[in-house]
Amino acid sequence: MTESMVALAGMLVLSFLRVPIAFSMGLAGFLGLWWMRGVAPSMASVTTMVYETGFQYTLSVVPLFILMGNFVTRAGMSKELYRAAHTFVGHRRGGLAMSTVIACAGFGSICGSSIATAATMTQVAYPSMRSKGYSDELAVGSIAAGGTLGILIPPSTIMVLYGILTETNIGKLFAAGFLPGLLAVVLLCLAVQYICWRDPAAGPRDERAGWPERMSALRDVWAVGVLFAVVMGGIYGGVFTATEGAGVGATGGFMFALFRGALSWKTLLEVLVDSARTTGMLFIILVGALIFSNFVNYTTMPTDLRGFVTEHNLGPMTVMFAICAIYIILGTAMEELSVILLTVPILFPIVIGLGFDPVWFGIIVVVIMQIGLISPPVGMNMFVVKSLLPHVSTMAIFRGVTPFVIAEIILLAILLQFPKISLYLPSLLKL
Amino acid sequence: MPGCAAPSDGGAACDRATPVKRFDTVLQQGLGLASAIVLFAMMWVTAIDVAGRYLFNKPLPGGFELTELMLAALIYCGLPLVSARRDHIVIDTLESVMSSGLKRVLDIAAEVICAVTLGGVGYLLFRRAARVAEYGDTTAVLKLPLTPVVYLMASMITIAALIHLALIFVPPAPRPSKSSA
Repeated sequence: MTESMVALAGMLVLSFLRVPIAFSMGLAGFLGLWWMRGVAPSMASVTTMVYETGFQYTLSVVPLFILMGNFVTRAGMSKELYRAAHTFVGHRRGGLAMSTVIACAGFGSICGSSIATAATMTQVAYPSMRSKGYSDELAVGSIAAGGTLGILIPPSTIMVLYGILTETNIGKLFAAGFLPGLLAVVLLCLAVQYICWRDPAAGPRDERAGWPERMSALRDVWAVGVLFAVVMGGIYGGVFTATEGAGVGATGGFMFALFRGALSWKTLLEVLVDSARTTGMLFIILVGALIFSNFVNYTTMPTDLRGFVTEHNLGPMTVMFAICAIYIILGTAMEELSVILLTVPILFPIVIGLGFDPVWFGIIVVVIMQIGLISPPVGMNMFVVKSLLPHVSTMAIFRGVTPFVIAEIILLAILLQFPKISLYLPSLLKL
Repeated sequence: MPGCAAPSDGGAACDRATPVKRFDTVLQQGLGLASAIVLFAMMWVTAIDVAGRYLFNKPLPGGFELTELMLAALIYCGLPLVSARRDHIVIDTLESVMSSGLKRVLDIAAEVICAVTLGGVGYLLFRRAARVAEYGDTTAVLKLPLTPVVYLMASMITIAALIHLALIFVPPAPRPSKSSA
């Protein structure tokens, strides 16, 4: 236990003193293992981690899903998705904000990044909402919150990373995210309703669209549906693995962008280089986290923490709530991806030891991360919206996201209380 | 200087050191192009493999191995790119309470730590590469030699270490933190 506490403290100190987390985790893991087992085994272990992570077929899922997301972002489907959602709910109170949420969900079904989702939708949804007299708060709040659906609705980069880090089946995680994703859409729309009920001027109604218009709008987004159906259907149906699905999805995204005339040699190169760079960045952290988690598993820390829990007779749910509280507190001060990568190696063994389902915990982690992405003061999605809309004040963004943060906390509570919502679809799969 | 390709990184520093700047441009463009090609190829290999298996009942021979080799090349070619652009994820919570002088000192210390860590890992990988070369390891199906790929990994890690050393002398331009959530 001492070794792991010292290593953990060292890692945190280094991280807060601005050493990139990949390096603080890797270094702490290496030195910790050196302390416990000697320098030669520790060096051997690091070599193996660095070498074998590179050559692991299943990990190609990461670059390929990132590539898919970047292709569909470049294809620029956000406008069509927004219009389609608008023809159905635009005439309701707060209809444009609800359209934003629904369009984000649609975009999230083919893109695994919440930042990309928020960034894309900002360009389409914000001008439209402002032109109809929506308040800045509601406009930016719905975009920032809707963007978080990108990581809950499959595919999801975060689920992929969680799956790799904890050796949980990625296909099952993707299936598990589906119903919570729909529930999140409902809750976020309810938050819009609440805002408009409090202040009807914040989100006025738009004209009702007729069925012919709705059908024509739906025809414009069929390709999104097909891409989602092929990739997710293929993974759910066991036709191909998540890794293969990512390859198929990336190719589909490429075709998609190509046929929409969004690709030149130059933009193709940009998309590829961008994806490669993101891949590099994620893998370095992943290798660091794996070295650290390899060390943690070698120490007595997981057993000791479990012992502490049983000794003090803490119920599993108490522990779960404590974990959520830790995450939310850390999440307000730290960037979310770091929080997940720093804590999952330590918390996962405890959670599993308490008899919780790894897939369910994955969904809980994702939803906590969603909350973190839009909770002040440090929330990536708010920064993205702010950087695209510099004239909107930070306070307006904070005020705008608050009702949506509450909606997502309710989502978290529901998912904690009813694991079935997350686990029903995965239980149907033979993965 | 490393990082000059990004417009936000102080242009003045670049003008003073043209050879370094040129090296940086070559590095970023060369590695960028290489990793772009590898990633694009990886996408097609996976797609053709799946399509071949289900449509024609004939998977791509050795597709699995090709993907593995390409993944290794992709990840480690990306590392110098990430380092040169200072894109590694850093926790910046305490940044607002730090004086700029302290921040600069910490940043230099962080670069040293990164350089030493990567230098060490690079050394370990060169040792592994020498062993792979000695045994003449190849992939199972296509019998592709592993040695060049392992040497590539080791070299890229070492280059990234050198970039971190170089970054000690380049004051960073302020930029928003990055993430891929």
